Amino acid sequence: MANKRLKAIASHTVLIAASLLFIAPFAWMLSTSLKHESRIFAKPGEPPQWIPTTDLLDEQGRPLVTYQGKTGVKVGRQEGGRYLVEVDGRRVEANEEEFESQQRLGLHWQNYVEAFQIINFPRNLKNTLFVCFSVVIGTLLSCSLVAYSFSRIEWPGRDFCFILVLATMMIPYQVMLIPLFVLYKNLGWTGSFKPLIIPAFLGTPFYIFLLRQFFMGIPQDLSAAARIDGCSEFGIYARIILPLSKPALATTALFTFLFEWGDFLNPLVFLQDDRHHTLALALQQFQSQHESLWGPLMAMSTVITLPIILLFFLTQKTFIQGITLTGLKG
Amino acid sequence: MDAGRRHFARAFRRNGREWLTFLLFAAPNLVLFAVFTYWPILRSFTLSFTKWNLLSPAPKWAGLTNYRALFVDPIFWRVALNTLIYAVTVVTVAQACAFLLALLLNRPLRGRAVFRTVAFLPHVTTTAVAALVWVIVLHPHYGPLSGLYATLGVNGPNWLESTGLALLAVIAVGIWKEIGFASLFFLAGLQGLPADCYEAAALDGARPLSRLWHITIPLMSPVIFFLLVTGFIAATKAFDSVAIMTEGGPVYPASSTYVYHLYKVGFRDFQAGLASALACVFFIITVAITALQFRMASRWVHYGE
Repeated sequence: MANKRLKAIASHTVLIAASLLFIAPFAWMLSTSLKHESRIFAKPGEPPQWIPTTDLLDEQGRPLVTYQGKTGVKVGRQEGGRYLVEVDGRRVEANEEEFESQQRLGLHWQNYVEAFQIINFPRNLKNTLFVCFSVVIGTLLSCSLVAYSFSRIEWPGRDFCFILVLATMMIPYQVMLIPLFVLYKNLGWTGSFKPLIIPAFLGTPFYIFLLRQFFMGIPQDLSAAARIDGCSEFGIYARIILPLSKPALATTALFTFLFEWGDFLNPLVFLQDDRHHTLALALQQFQSQHESLWGPLMAMSTVITLPIILLFFLTQKTFIQGITLTGLKG
Repeated sequence: MDAGRRHFARAFRRNGREWLTFLLFAAPNLVLFAVFTYWPILRSFTLSFTKWNLLSPAPKWAGLTNYRALFVDPIFWRVALNTLIYAVTVVTVAQACAFLLALLLNRPLRGRAVFRTVAFLPHVTTTAVAALVWVIVLHPHYGPLSGLYATLGVNGPNWLESTGLALLAVIAVGIWKEIGFASLFFLAGLQGLPADCYEAAALDGARPLSRLWHITIPLMSPVIFFLLVTGFIAATKAFDSVAIMTEGGPVYPASSTYVYHLYKVGFRDFQAGLASALACVFFIITVAITALQFRMASRWVHYGE
């Protein structure tokens, strides 16, 4: 019994330590995003400051300090680096180590304001959402249609064609990057959203595979019965198969959305104009131009991450379902 | 001839409806999909024998020059080695950790769901953001480690500015993102294991460690294999974190990976031919590694009956 409890404690300790490792970078991001510039740079010898603070001030706006156990105020700085501290109406000179400035929680929201001024946030957000939703719609439409034809219609060469589509999953996307760039350039698509959006309307092998596996699991009798009742093929697809496949469609939509939200390579290569930049790309531009502005940069990172975390919390079930659907049954 | 036509007509009468529905449904998609997938692959191959800066009207035939240039270039070998180090380290470390975590999680434990969620967070986070956050976490002055260095009285390493450590920093982000994802798979696999094997082993008096080695790992081998293959292939494509954290630096190619190098050669140095040669070599390596993994798998992966 004692052994069992010991085991449980040990497991919990390991798990909690691991959780802290997973969470700590997020916490640091949030914390830095709310720190004044003077607090971001840690003073040597001080523990990392996880909670942003600011100096506690008296009524006259002078910083409060603790000196020899008593509360005083810092009134000035002498030549030679010593400070003038007023305690109980008496002024004393003190070294920096002899007193401690009193702190209170201080959230520097100004970083967020600055971040929004440095990049054109509304425009970047609009671009990102436009690309995300277009790609989600495109992927759902094209992949479900193609998957339907791969699973519910018999046509000659079907399985061979399916293998040809699946085989492209093996090919690293980056292998096609340069020819695609040339192709889009010749079509006059570069510098617009088209290279990001139109391919989604042609189908993505991974989701074709996912949806086909799901459609295969729906009894063929349902289709047969509907045909006898005079339902058209498109009617079967739209009114029977799609409603029954909500979990697989939700997984597809969710994964696509998340991928597009964070996609970096494609916007980097195909979007040339600032006007079209997505959030992930704007963040990188921001970083390369203003590396010293850590506060606003982390504020921007927090803004980009929050919706993703929120979405993940709300859709966890779909997520786990999707992973078992694609991974373990494939 | 006539017989053939009659046969075709009969087949069409029988299957015509299906054909037409197929044409209506998927044919346009599939044809365009092929254009946008198979054509670029073939074009990559032909471009790799040319010299081209992406701007001049036409690529110039260059024979095997690109491949020859590639194989004598020390940067190419360094980048290939970096990618191998990156992929092997990320896959082995992340999966070992993930497996252990999944073993811990695979028992009635309070707060299991919370932990699963937390472990998965790094994976859903945008890589660009994650990389940026790690830049500050590892920063010798801005990061939470700065205090630790000060307490220990050491000068903290400047991870991203050090030729030896920059790649390690990129690897750390890769591992951090991968663990939760892999442990979710392992957990799903563990929960599907048949209980009777364990009951039999318990009756035989098998110790926990020997149960792990003789039952759990063989039974889990399909999952481990799946994660090894997909994880390795995904890891060889690392790009975002390199682009954000180091751009291959501090001295190129100290922390560059294959795909980042491909991007740099193609879209920064405008050497489309050379980049295409890189792409073709990459394609061959990917296929070879996957084939190798499948061959090796027959020795140790047990699929149930």
